[in-house]
Amino acid sequence: MANTTISASSAAPSIWRKWVGVVPFFLFAILFLILPSLRLFIGSFTNNEGKFTFDNILQLFEQQSILSAYWLSIRISAVTAIGGGIFGFLLAYSVTVGGLPKPLRSMLITFSGVASNFAGVPLAFAFVATLGRTGIITAILKDVFGVEIYKTGFNLYSFLGLSLTYMYFQFPLMVLVMTPALDGLKREWREAAENLGASQFQYWRRVALPVLLPSILGSMILLFGNAFGAYATAYALTGGALPIVTIQIGAQIRGDVLHNPGLGYAMAMGMVVVMAISLAGYSWLQSKSERWLK
Amino acid sequence: MSLRRFPFWSWIWYLLGALYFILPLYATFTFSLEMKRGALSFLAYEKAFADKEFWHTFGYSNLVAFLTILVSALLSIPTAYWIRLRLPQARRIVEFITLMPFVVPAIILVFGLIRIYSSPLNVPFTDITVIPPLTNFKVGTTLLLVAGYTVLALPYMYRSVDTGMRTIDVATLTEAAQSLGADWRTIMFRVIFPNLRSALLSGALLTFAIVVGEVTIASFLGVPAFGPYLFLLGQHLAYQPAALSFTSFILTWIAMGLIQLVSGGQGQTVGAH
Amino acid sequence: MAYLTLSNISKQFGDTVVVEDFNLDIEKGEFVSFLGPSGCGKTTTLRMVAGFETPTSGKIVLGGNDITNQSPNQRNVGMIFQAYALFPNMTVAQNIGFGLSIRKEPEAAIKERVQEMINLINLEKHADKYPYQLSGGQQQRVALARALANRPQVLLLDEPLSALDAKIRVSLRAEIRAIQKRLGITAIFVTHDQEEALSISDRIVVMNQGRADQIGTPFEIYNFPKTQFVANFVGSLNTAVAEVTDPANGLLSMDGVQFISAENMDNLHKGDKVRIAIRPERFSFAAELRKVNVVDCTIENIMFLGSVVRIQVKIGNTKFNMDTFNNPFLELPKIGDKDQVTCSKEAVLILGSA
Repeated sequence: MANTTISASSAAPSIWRKWVGVVPFFLFAILFLILPSLRLFIGSFTNNEGKFTFDNILQLFEQQSILSAYWLSIRISAVTAIGGGIFGFLLAYSVTVGGLPKPLRSMLITFSGVASNFAGVPLAFAFVATLGRTGIITAILKDVFGVEIYKTGFNLYSFLGLSLTYMYFQFPLMVLVMTPALDGLKREWREAAENLGASQFQYWRRVALPVLLPSILGSMILLFGNAFGAYATAYALTGGALPIVTIQIGAQIRGDVLHNPGLGYAMAMGMVVVMAISLAGYSWLQSKSERWLK
Repeated sequence: MSLRRFPFWSWIWYLLGALYFILPLYATFTFSLEMKRGALSFLAYEKAFADKEFWHTFGYSNLVAFLTILVSALLSIPTAYWIRLRLPQARRIVEFITLMPFVVPAIILVFGLIRIYSSPLNVPFTDITVIPPLTNFKVGTTLLLVAGYTVLALPYMYRSVDTGMRTIDVATLTEAAQSLGADWRTIMFRVIFPNLRSALLSGALLTFAIVVGEVTIASFLGVPAFGPYLFLLGQHLAYQPAALSFTSFILTWIAMGLIQLVSGGQGQTVGAH
Repeated sequence: MAYLTLSNISKQFGDTVVVEDFNLDIEKGEFVSFLGPSGCGKTTTLRMVAGFETPTSGKIVLGGNDITNQSPNQRNVGMIFQAYALFPNMTVAQNIGFGLSIRKEPEAAIKERVQEMINLINLEKHADKYPYQLSGGQQQRVALARALANRPQVLLLDEPLSALDAKIRVSLRAEIRAIQKRLGITAIFVTHDQEEALSISDRIVVMNQGRADQIGTPFEIYNFPKTQFVANFVGSLNTAVAEVTDPANGLLSMDGVQFISAENMDNLHKGDKVRIAIRPERFSFAAELRKVNVVDCTIENIMFLGSVVRIQVKIGNTKFNMDTFNNPFLELPKIGDKDQVTCSKEAVLILGSA
């Protein structure tokens, strides 16, 4: 890069020179992102003899254990997306439009940044210490309220327990994504609505919520993808007892439990497809909301 | 909801949220203090920090974090700069690439990385080995680990750097520097880098937070990182893992707090892993 | 009985007094502007009429009703915002019909009224467009129609033109005034642009630091400013320090140059130092027409501003601006020339002690 002028290069191999600056980036992306993904992609269409086949993909939809794994992942992602979405929205609302003092807002934002990153092993331990058999809440519920939750069938290492744990990073993620959107609600809209005779409720129902809806939906889709792709927390908490897709893939990586590498790749690809759809949905809804909330 | 009315419901949501967030932390902390029977003490912390293995893995993770920050910064800065100044056409494809790690989460990424790099990487259709099987030797796996983490951290580092460049209007700064006679080296090191300090710091802290706690890629690649160590600890000990978990939370809090300080704004979001 | 009365209105935010002792009577169908710099309290006062702020003390009476503490959605006043504030998720037609649908008027009536309003603002072809598809000027017209559709008792406009391009500003303000006159609706217009206020208002309230410095017609405000602030803020002004030499005969001395003023000097004594002010357009060359005041001057600078030629002259030690209409056949003096300028004694204003 000897030449420092910004104007378009005049030398003959100009296309090469134009792209040279981004070559390292692309090289890296190819080597460590695209190639691995491609390997999985190709592998999902390969059978045990190394020939091209659609069988693996078909098996995704036929094999009961795989279908139920996907269904379980979808359920847990949906539950935590909706639950996390609603409560996260309410939290974000409280510190923006809701009118709580500024210091509370910065505390929430900082904490959300931390908590959304707190997934994995430490989070699992924290919830064991809270809701495990000897956890603090379990103890409080027994000593103070006389309720023995483990006798009623509750188990931290279950769908419900994992969902509760996932919420710890879903709420904050929703808060972080929705806060800018809520900030984008112009004060004048509420005033104009009031001025035209609307009550608070009417304003929310006819202006604010419709305007926020793309953001809310998009964020929930983001939460869905986030939960769908999570591995460490689930493994640390349940040790693989809950057969969600990521756990299955993890088992497949360690040892070919499916006895069919192609199927393992297909599962991975299925997951990528789900994530891609959710990312696309999120992006599309984001662009729609940006048009209104800029 | 103006200042006229007391925001009753807002307080309710906020306090409920605070309760939900604080309880697990409180539980972890109190649990970590109960190692000595009948008294509260920092014994769990003492024992945890006395373990040589802790320092070994923690040090390793820090090293990996540092390398990741270096690589992702070295990748992001010139690329973002180049795209801004010379190649806006590439913007969309680069941004698409920085979105891909969301579609390819850690577990999938490590799956692909292992399958590819457990055998030599050859130039297509030939026998010329470009990269030997990385998973076969320690330095190789560390390299792979850094590469994987860079992929995970790239969206945040790149976005941080790119936003920083937009804020300081790097194109105009470059033109000003050039009109005053600076060459590209001077521009890069005396104009661009210093002005990107806060963006770089943000990205670096976020990367640090991601890497040190990461366990998915680390455990599958079999490296002596902090995440797998903590997990193993949790299999047969009770108090030390709690102590270390709480410590890691405090560390992350410090890192995020620093980001807030440095960027003076929203900070960035990280997903689950 | 005035249609809208603001009596002794004050507004305090904590320790800061934003509006102080504001009194105003507005007749039905009148167009009144609140004019002043940022922070003078004009917007706060408007918002108190709208109900978005509550006065710390004082009363607001509209059409015989005390609305001081009424909530904004009960008042039936129409507000136009600087940032248009159109609801982004609704079309033009839906925006305009919003107030009527809140009142649960029948569909047919809403449709008819909306159509009427769309015709009023000349946006027939855009009825089904969304705000982001419209220009700033178009959006503001829709905002106007939306407020008017409700048949408000008063129209409140909060710097509605400040966000628009210069040319649109001029055409839209004329349009707003025309519609207001046609409908006979009472209006309060807040602006910091004196040309806007002067050109379309029946009366202007010039506000300064929370107080109404002067209330009058544009003609009165411009030609007979009551305070230094009003004189400075509205139109351009030459000011200088002068010494009173003969109060009975209105004589002053500025840098040794004698001026005669028509102002009342009953409260002044010989030797008092006062601030005098003369509008640039009140000067003319003595060669054309001699008025009471004739003074020597040196030509310092000549600036051609288009329809106006601004000539900077030095009288005594002070520079004065003199504005004269551009005339292609008039020979202008050259820089450095010595000349004589003249002005009437009514043109010499006294703005208080120096």
